[in-house]
Amino acid sequence: MKKIALLVALGIIALSSSADARIKVRGRGAAMNFDSASIPPQFQATFANMSQKCIKCHTMERTVIAVQTGRAPITGQPFNKQAVKAYGIKMLRKPNSNMNKQEIRDFVMFLNFLLDENAK
Amino acid sequence: MLQAKDIDLFNLIQEEYRDMIKINYIVAVSLLGLVCILSLPETSHAIPAFSRAHKVECTTCHTIYPELNEYGEAFLKNSYVYFSHDKKKDASASAPKAAKPAAKKVVTDAGTEVKGDGDSAKLAALKAGALSGSTSSESQPAATEPEAVEQNHDAKPTTEKAEGILLSGIPEQLPISFTGSINYGYDTSQVNEVDFAARSIKMHAGGNFREKFGFFATYVAYSEQPPTGTYNTSTTASNNKTDLNEFLLSWRHVLDSPVNLRIGRMQPKMGLWKTNNKLSATNNYLPYSYTVGKSSLFKIEQPQDTLELNSIVANRLYVAGGIVNRKGQNTKEGYGHLSYKFGGADFLTNEPEIDLNKEESILDYLTLTVGAYGYYGKNGTSNSNDPKNTYYRVGSDAELMYKIYRLRLLGNYGNDDNATPTTLNSWTNVISKAGAVEGEVTLLTNLIAAGRFEYLQQESNSQARFANNYVRRYVSTLGYSPLQNVKFAVEYKYEILPSTINKVGVLGATIAF
Repeated sequence: MKKIALLVALGIIALSSSADARIKVRGRGAAMNFDSASIPPQFQATFANMSQKCIKCHTMERTVIAVQTGRAPITGQPFNKQAVKAYGIKMLRKPNSNMNKQEIRDFVMFLNFLLDENAK
Repeated sequence: MLQAKDIDLFNLIQEEYRDMIKINYIVAVSLLGLVCILSLPETSHAIPAFSRAHKVECTTCHTIYPELNEYGEAFLKNSYVYFSHDKKKDASASAPKAAKPAAKKVVTDAGTEVKGDGDSAKLAALKAGALSGSTSSESQPAATEPEAVEQNHDAKPTTEKAEGILLSGIPEQLPISFTGSINYGYDTSQVNEVDFAARSIKMHAGGNFREKFGFFATYVAYSEQPPTGTYNTSTTASNNKTDLNEFLLSWRHVLDSPVNLRIGRMQPKMGLWKTNNKLSATNNYLPYSYTVGKSSLFKIEQPQDTLELNSIVANRLYVAGGIVNRKGQNTKEGYGHLSYKFGGADFLTNEPEIDLNKEESILDYLTLTVGAYGYYGKNGTSNSNDPKNTYYRVGSDAELMYKIYRLRLLGNYGNDDNATPTTLNSWTNVISKAGAVEGEVTLLTNLIAAGRFEYLQQESNSQARFANNYVRRYVSTLGYSPLQNVKFAVEYKYEILPSTINKVGVLGATIAF
């Protein structure tokens, strides 16, 4: 009985530590997005801003899948830190993206954080 | 029997109906007076076949269809092969997308490394399961809710291919698309001032065969032309000019060199932009579209039977040159093009290096592309002793982009030493000078406004044989795209010719599917 309890306890610890290391995702399809509850406070403002601006042209689902899979879901291109910066620059230069350099810098840092978390 | 109240009601309805007709008429005329879109067949490069093949949206390559953005230009230069920044994939250039997991070491089920000098890309694709399954992810999925994980799998691009299709290099989907245009024109100089007649439908095919060969074709299925000869109001809409507008094959990186070989009928690469790469659908750029006299139909944007070599050098320099064959003429004609891009994404779509930690600079957003070209040729009556017309064109273009603004400049100089070659012993030298400037503002991602001024000046050494020609043209365009494959455009052209002034409004709709 003690062994079982110990195993269960270990299992719970293992699962909870794994969950803590990663960012949760909520919703389906076009409504899919990172779970704001699992975003650290220092990124909350950036996340909120990103959730507003990115959806001007595409869903957040695209961003979530890119982070999860390491591949841009539409093009199949790699989605790593180098690509994140390139996407950031692309969005900065995109007419009417309505994103300034400071915002892009924040988005890139946030996405890099997400990639790191996902790799854990 | 009708009652009095029924008659009153009838009159009331009749009045309202009359008012409605009046309002509709005013609205229709107003719109017609303003608008403008596709009328004559133009070479096209924007087709949903590319969207279907690469599973990307139209705006990946277009601002508002069919105008290209810089990524669309790169796709065009890359012979209809989707640009890749995947180094693993680039290592096996001819492998399909699904081959990416196998870009790692190729190992058999038994764990033995596969050796040999066969087609490594094909083998990689085979081993990756490209022939029988879907792409698998290389990275671990994030901790998601179960339903989200399920979504992810649904969203992954599937690249299932039958072995035969993969090995044959045949596109999985039939790479066919259609584009069509419907125009309502308003022109006070015509008998039929409000004209519903201009419309066309074209069939396109485009894609690549295992990234070794690119191809593109445009077949004009229907294009309504201006009426010729005597006609009356009973004349039905003409259906002529059905023709193969363009059909080219591009052999990419010939013998592993950086050079691409294009053969077939195409617009020789001269100016920076192809015919339809602009917001306006009805008015082509004058420096690209003018002709000299009645004997020569040559113009810069004319599709021709061509053999062309082109190459991207050091990511930002594009070089092209080729020869053109004319029917019934043994001597060939030649052309060359050179363009360079400063700032912005390069011709391989690599983003510029911008330090995000530095303050904003104008250079972060500035892109300048400059190009120059030349064409040398000879035309006249085949198999006759009539003197021929030897002519050349040289030109230069530039495009400046800054945030939501785009500025295009075009200049062209032409010399025809005998613009009336059928007239023996009477050489008619014509000098042509053409220029255009166009400014464009992206008001919204799907709403763009443009204004253009262009001029043409043609002067000869003999007014008796060639009357000097002066054209000034002002064109304003508003393009709106409610969906990415549907475009509405309103255009107004004010054109000053030597003997007349044209005022033409067009409202047009263009669709691609």
